[in-house]
Amino acid sequence: MLTHLRQSGTLVGLLAIILFFAVQLPDTFLTAQNLLNVSQQISMLAVTAFTMTIVMVMGDFDLSVGSTASLAGIAAAVLFASGWPVWSGVIAALAVGIAGGLFNGVLVAYVGILPFIATLGTLTMFSGTAFLISDGKTIFGRDIPAEFSGFARSGLHLAEGVTVPSMTIAAALVLAVVFVVLEHTTYGRRLYAIGGNIQAAELAGINVRRLRLSAFALTGLGAAVAGLMYASRVASANPTQASGLMLDAIAAVFLGMTMGRQGEPRVMATLVGVLILGILDNGLTQMNVDSYVREILIGAIVVAAVAVSSYGRKRV
Amino acid sequence: MERLSLIGLSKSYGGVPALRDVTLHLTAGRVHALMGENGAGKSTLIKLVAGVVRADTMRVERDGTALTIATAADARRAGFRVIHQELNIVPQLSVAENILLGRPSPRRLSLLVDWRRLQDRARVALEFMGAGHIDVTVQAGDLPTGDRMLTRIAAALVVDADEAPPCLYILDEPTAALTAAESEKLFDVIARLSARGAAVLYVSHRMDEVMRICDDVTVLRDGAHVMTAPIAKTSREAIIQGMTGHLGNDTVLPRHTPIGKGIAAVAVGVAANRLRDIDFTLKQGEILGVAGLEEAGQSDLLRLFMGLGRVTSGHLKVLDDPAPSGPVQAWARGIAYVPRERRAEGLMLGMTIRDNTLIPHLGDYGIFARKAAETDRTRGLADQVRLRFRGPDQPVGQLSGGNQQKVLFARALAGKPRLLLLEEPTRGVDVGARAEIHALIRGLSAEGCAVILASSDLSELLGLSDRLLILQQGRQAALVDREGLSPADLLARIYSPKAA
Repeated sequence: MLTHLRQSGTLVGLLAIILFFAVQLPDTFLTAQNLLNVSQQISMLAVTAFTMTIVMVMGDFDLSVGSTASLAGIAAAVLFASGWPVWSGVIAALAVGIAGGLFNGVLVAYVGILPFIATLGTLTMFSGTAFLISDGKTIFGRDIPAEFSGFARSGLHLAEGVTVPSMTIAAALVLAVVFVVLEHTTYGRRLYAIGGNIQAAELAGINVRRLRLSAFALTGLGAAVAGLMYASRVASANPTQASGLMLDAIAAVFLGMTMGRQGEPRVMATLVGVLILGILDNGLTQMNVDSYVREILIGAIVVAAVAVSSYGRKRV
Repeated sequence: MERLSLIGLSKSYGGVPALRDVTLHLTAGRVHALMGENGAGKSTLIKLVAGVVRADTMRVERDGTALTIATAADARRAGFRVIHQELNIVPQLSVAENILLGRPSPRRLSLLVDWRRLQDRARVALEFMGAGHIDVTVQAGDLPTGDRMLTRIAAALVVDADEAPPCLYILDEPTAALTAAESEKLFDVIARLSARGAAVLYVSHRMDEVMRICDDVTVLRDGAHVMTAPIAKTSREAIIQGMTGHLGNDTVLPRHTPIGKGIAAVAVGVAANRLRDIDFTLKQGEILGVAGLEEAGQSDLLRLFMGLGRVTSGHLKVLDDPAPSGPVQAWARGIAYVPRERRAEGLMLGMTIRDNTLIPHLGDYGIFARKAAETDRTRGLADQVRLRFRGPDQPVGQLSGGNQQKVLFARALAGKPRLLLLEEPTRGVDVGARAEIHALIRGLSAEGCAVILASSDLSELLGLSDRLLILQQGRQAALVDREGLSPADLLARIYSPKAA
């Protein structure tokens, strides 16, 4: 019973937040338009957090996702600027993400560096590379093709005034893929086994190194997708634009982990974490709360949720 | 101090008694040996006296006056010094700091560490040990193993000015990591400590040492006191007899089916890591017992068959192929492993019985997991190993030790193993589960699965094995038929430095 209370605490928190804003902002918050807005605003964070969940399932994490996302955006934009077609820029960006992830994976799984240190190092490397190839400038305007930036402005028209943004659909697709991979494939089960006990997993014949490598590659790929979405949304690319994604993505997974039976990450729980962060941001902005105060609040909520959960776990 | 009495020591862990009403009298100036097989209760006894573990019942009297030993600080204040078996030094700190760890450092201006005085005190302690060659300023992690042990012993020798002189030294297998020359120095120190009027409780597996340096001996078996006698009035044989007790009437199943003809594994003069001279041929369905003192290389030997560790000379053939490249290949070829530490090395405690059972066999399902099929298979396997559980989705961490062990057997069975590697398969398992696990091993062997069984449980080894391989410090010291081997013979071979 206590376990259930602890597990559902975070979900109750989300509902409480929604209720709070619904009361405070009766005219604007619970409207279809605003909710669709929120879904678009959180879509990049969502993609990053969903794919971050993949490495966190194994007990690892990836600090470099923000700079991978920025680098992927820059890579695409640089190609666009020199006249390459949109599809080639997109493929190049995704390749950059996979390559970055593989590099992280080699450092962690084969060289044996702690993920914190390895990805802290690559964070700086990827960020520096983004500055280098963009010459430190923002690429924007005519250099970004309209068909690329148009993606973020398109959507699926459902009814009068109700258009589901393409960004939201993209995030939902990533969610579905990650959900199937983690929960319904043998691959995902093996990742959870590594997270459960890496030594036992290895002795039980799991190819721990190769799986860690591939999981980092997937996280890198997800970061690149998020970076492309970001670049499309702002119709420009600069070397630091996605760097804020990393901390929020990890925070979202941690919030989700408070809902796991054993404190393990689950991608649907990560969705709850993303929603908490996104809705808080949206609601507090609408209430004209100072953005600095907003940051303090969001940080405090993450710490409080994790603290309550680990306290509860000790007691149960 | 003349006499220190440890009276009525009892301790149970989760209902399983580890020590049952043991009483021990130690005398100043005498070295008292404590002997027993693995799991006899020696370590528990030491932990109780050291105040590391709370006793269920214990009375400690010094010259008739009761002492309270509830914490490690109490034990220290009473003048007890304990050198535990595990090498616990802090590798990042200097030797001097390690020796004076946990004590207020000498200060300058009551703020800064007085390094010179600190080092002088450490040097004095080392010189008393005859280990003046150790540089107290180097990081302890840079020392060779023997010197690290000497450092730890020196730490136990330090007496602060405001402390009572120690009245009891407890040494738990102190020579395990020492060379012969270093051991000699240690024996000299022990002689000087006891000449100063301290009592020494000396725990060792090494019969020769005990016979040489100890005055009295106490033997424990299964947590109970068996005998106490002056060394001069007893014999090696009597001590071994005391440690093993009567093993003949154990319930282990005898072999009913013949050993197969086919060959499961061949090792010819294999050396790897610590292992040397490993040489045997294992037939299908044969059970090879591996015996030895703790850490004699049992894990290394089994892991070699899992593809962990590199053969440096000789050659190894497993199921008609060269040794596997690693656990992935080993499981795929039908080699199953039940590791020694089931919680640390075997199970994902937070995950379900189904996940834990099928983890090495997920490849059977292709890309997509099939929960229904996996659940059915887990139920079948659980029945086979007679698992007592609520359902395949129950987390393994909620099961008893015996049932956790059965999950590992279910995992092994699921792969239809042709070679089964077992390490302490019934450690910490209740009697009923132990018998069931023994029946499983017999059953697998009858189906032609070869088994390598490393165990410190002699009745298990003698009850199941067809042959026994005896390891001494990584070397294959003997390979003997079970037929006609008595427990005392086996123990003598395990304990003797050079078995015939």
